[in-house]
Amino acid sequence: MAELIKIAQLSCGTEYSSVQYEIEKAARSVGAKIVYPDVSAADINAAVERFGFNPRSPQLKLMIARAVQLADGLYDADAVFIATCFRCAEAALVRNELRRFIQENTRLPVVTYSFTERLKASQLLTRMEALVTIVARKELLAREKQSGLTAGLDSGSSTTKAVVMQDNKIIGKAWMPTGDVVESATSVLEEAMKMAGVELKDLEAIGTTGYGRFTLGKHFNAKLVQEELTVNSKGAVWLADRQRGEATIIDIGGMDNKAITVRDGVPDNFTMGGVCAGASGRFMEMTARRLKIDVSELGNYAVKGNWKNAKMNSYCSVFGIQDLVTTLGEGKSFEDVAAAACHSVAEQVYEQQLQEVDVRHPIIQVGGTSLNAGLVKAIGEVLGEPPIVPENSQFIGAVGGALLSSGFL
Amino acid sequence: MSEERETRLLMIAPTSNVTPDQLSRTIHAMGERISVKETCYGCLIEGPRDLVRKVRDAARELDPNGIFSKIRAYPLGDPRRCRAHHGTRPGFSQLEMEWNALTNISAGLDASDRGEKVVEPEPKKQLPVTEFKKICEVNQ
Amino acid sequence: MKVFIDPPNSLILFDLIERFGHEPLSTMAALQERVDNIEIDMPPMNVTLDDVIKGLKYAGIEVPSGIRGRLAVWGPLIEEADAAVVMEGAPFSFGCVGCERSNLMVKYLLQRRNIPVLYVTYPEDEEQGKLVVAKVKEFLQGLDKKEAN
Repeated sequence: MAELIKIAQLSCGTEYSSVQYEIEKAARSVGAKIVYPDVSAADINAAVERFGFNPRSPQLKLMIARAVQLADGLYDADAVFIATCFRCAEAALVRNELRRFIQENTRLPVVTYSFTERLKASQLLTRMEALVTIVARKELLAREKQSGLTAGLDSGSSTTKAVVMQDNKIIGKAWMPTGDVVESATSVLEEAMKMAGVELKDLEAIGTTGYGRFTLGKHFNAKLVQEELTVNSKGAVWLADRQRGEATIIDIGGMDNKAITVRDGVPDNFTMGGVCAGASGRFMEMTARRLKIDVSELGNYAVKGNWKNAKMNSYCSVFGIQDLVTTLGEGKSFEDVAAAACHSVAEQVYEQQLQEVDVRHPIIQVGGTSLNAGLVKAIGEVLGEPPIVPENSQFIGAVGGALLSSGFL
Repeated sequence: MSEERETRLLMIAPTSNVTPDQLSRTIHAMGERISVKETCYGCLIEGPRDLVRKVRDAARELDPNGIFSKIRAYPLGDPRRCRAHHGTRPGFSQLEMEWNALTNISAGLDASDRGEKVVEPEPKKQLPVTEFKKICEVNQ
Repeated sequence: MKVFIDPPNSLILFDLIERFGHEPLSTMAALQERVDNIEIDMPPMNVTLDDVIKGLKYAGIEVPSGIRGRLAVWGPLIEEADAAVVMEGAPFSFGCVGCERSNLMVKYLLQRRNIPVLYVTYPEDEEQGKLVVAKVKEFLQGLDKKEAN
């Protein structure tokens, strides 16, 4: 293994929440180590004064001083992890402003996290892996064109997607709901290869991403096995033809949501997660089921409706569905209810994910849920700007996999 | 005698003439069955509790009001605590700041030994609003 | 007597309490028990999920985990204390005392114990240093008398 990637930790409360060990374990498992920028006591007051926010909690002052060390290039680190206790308002303010400060003053990739005592290393793995990928695979991530004949497999929580690409063009694609990880992937890959008119032995490289990436990577002997934050970003900017400059990528997934800001296609800040399924693609499925319509039709209903006519505002999918039942009981139209469901998800993505990143333009909405016109409209309304939805937007992960794996040829 | 491990840091006040090197050598010279590690602010000692306390008292004779001590949770060289491992832990800044304050505490101990009487000054009160108003009016 | 110190990791208070013949109750001692426990592997401090859950005794689930974890370490010390010395306005409060909300809660828990508590202000000059030492000494000698009675 090459030298460990140094992730600077700026945090408050990790050791007393019994999560420091988990943070370090996650870092170790992806070839990184956690470091604390050194500060002397004399640096602290000066740093707080310069930063301009003077928190009452001394540990937060120390976080600020450590961030200033990074900003001034006095401490050598490759990436930054900023974490504070969930439900601490003072720390939440400092966490977000420090993230902004780091981004304004350095080119280091940053991820923020608010934890509870239940945090496990596995929850951080994708984020830590992405930080490491951004640092360690700079050259690979700079790749803008696919070459040769490659395939990408994206094993998501809801659906599995496959794409076959040749000479920077998509020549085969397929998706299906995820069942058994390997079976689903085999099936979509076969379908995509059939469409492309190629066979497995012809493929020069395969790239896997998503929850099932490790299993698939092993099974298909993939050249690239990489987390979905960096892979999806590359796929999104390739599909939207926005490889250069800045953008924000919004990916509302089946189980979690991602908001990623990119510079030249490489993420420099991202958030992942969602308090509950109430803010994810799963809620769209539940709503469709309750309305007894196919989820693919939900968007068409939603664009015709007005969310203001139906009240639906819940962080929880169970309460969300209760709202939905009540609203239907009041005789509201399917269209209004569908629009309200989309609006509710968009609002929560805004409240939960987009508060942790600075939205850059353009906004590219991707993932299976971006096929839902109602959700795209709702995101546009909430953000005050319609997002770009590129063609094949549900295939970002698979496209990113095919594109990046061609870098190994 | 308690055999339980005690790790203790001895810190020399900025105003003291004792050096960390002098302190460590004095302790070594005692020939006790304890570990000593010189640090930038004094030294760390570790061994069975009663012995560590005996050494602390003896070492303090170099400058009774200029050498301070507290226990440390981690044993010497514990990688969980080690600065070289991944940078300073938060308590380090605290030690630095307390070190600066030892000058005043040292002076306090000296005064106490001399039997100096200390009178507590009246605490400052906030200016009554009526008074403040008058000042504002004068400056108008 | 057992005297709780606040900040609970203060070198100055720890030293003064010992110097004047009492036993300081500190974070260091509470953590030593944990770091020496070879059955727990939760570095760096071996504060465990169980600890954070025990912290619910002092603060509800809506309170951040870092506060509950800290209170789980200090709470038993406060319960065990016969007296306490609190230094207010200390500029040195990092590490375990890095969370201001937790620190406020410690002062409140001490108040509720109804034990003798001495409040001193962090000294800014030698005169104030003399005052701190004199007050701490007088307070601790008063405890001796109380014990003798």
